[in-house]
Amino acid sequence: MGMLIIIDQPPYGTWAGREALDMAFALAAFDQPVSLLFSGAGVNWLRKAQDTAGIEQKSVEKNLAAAPIFGIKAILADRAACERYNLDIKTMIDGAQLTDANAELMAQYSQATFAG
Amino acid sequence: MNRLHTLHILNKTPDHPRFSECLGTLGPDDAVALTENGVLGLVSSKALSSVQTYALAADLGARGLSEDNLGAAPIDYAELVNLTLQAERVISW
Amino acid sequence: MTHSTTHATTRTATPSFTLVITGAPYSSQAPQTALSFAKATVAAGHTIDRVFLYGDGVHLASALVAAPSDETHWPKRWAAFLEEHEIPGVACIASALRRGLVDGDEQKRYQLGANNLLKPFTIAGLGEWVEGNIKSTRTIYFHAGA
Repeated sequence: MGMLIIIDQPPYGTWAGREALDMAFALAAFDQPVSLLFSGAGVNWLRKAQDTAGIEQKSVEKNLAAAPIFGIKAILADRAACERYNLDIKTMIDGAQLTDANAELMAQYSQATFAG
Repeated sequence: MNRLHTLHILNKTPDHPRFSECLGTLGPDDAVALTENGVLGLVSSKALSSVQTYALAADLGARGLSEDNLGAAPIDYAELVNLTLQAERVISW
Repeated sequence: MTHSTTHATTRTATPSFTLVITGAPYSSQAPQTALSFAKATVAAGHTIDRVFLYGDGVHLASALVAAPSDETHWPKRWAAFLEEHEIPGVACIASALRRGLVDGDEQKRYQLGANNLLKPFTIAGLGEWVEGNIKSTRTIYFHAGA
């Protein structure tokens, strides 16, 4: 059924999200089915036009855009969190699907985890 | 034995965003095992009262909480291990 | 009485666990909760396939921890448990290198002044976690609380 990797912290301020992405890409590299769910403040990973040069970190925008090519099945974003953080189709990167992070969603995956 | 679909291991207090995120994903056959600071949710929140809830006795004791009248079944680590095997899935929040 | 032949019987396999620790010692309770869980797992007759340290959890593999004498020395406690039960303990290489946990090989590779990985922990990639995920009956995560 597949693993759901959940990211609920925003990018760049902490590393938990990057470490979650590494887990997802590792699973995909081993041909294991995996999807990403961005919830809570984590939806801010999906905002377009991240210019990270000033804080000396690599932007994750390209990694996320490349995720399907690397075998990540879906990039999901919690609808309510997107509203809270003023994110919509125009301001979000391509490929993110809005969903509700509830029991029905979770039941579709055999495992779900955070990186930390 | 009742079916246990998902065991949610929760070590966050109600003040942490993950507490309500966890509760938002609970299904009817799920249970919550409170560990570490998560046991404090039994004192400060009513959100768990309708949920099948367990709490690590060692963490209750450390925080000065009595095992009585908590609205949760106190468990030891051996029982936590059992719960992880009984559940179809385990999620640590 | 019939003897079993070489084909599999209907005997249930021993449940096996992969434990993932992402919280550091002395910053979180994760190493303690995980060790208490691990001891109960083994006492119940189950197998622990592997303990995987990720993120801040790699600090549990430090050979340079000097804990106060009246506090539990978590790296040593864990090392003793792993050795007693011959359970592999792996620190994720990406997490470890960033946080300054290195073994002899990485010390040479990066020309660092020292190495500090506590035996019997080893350093390896996320592939070991993926493998544990596939192979073990359960993979249980011990994150830092709040």
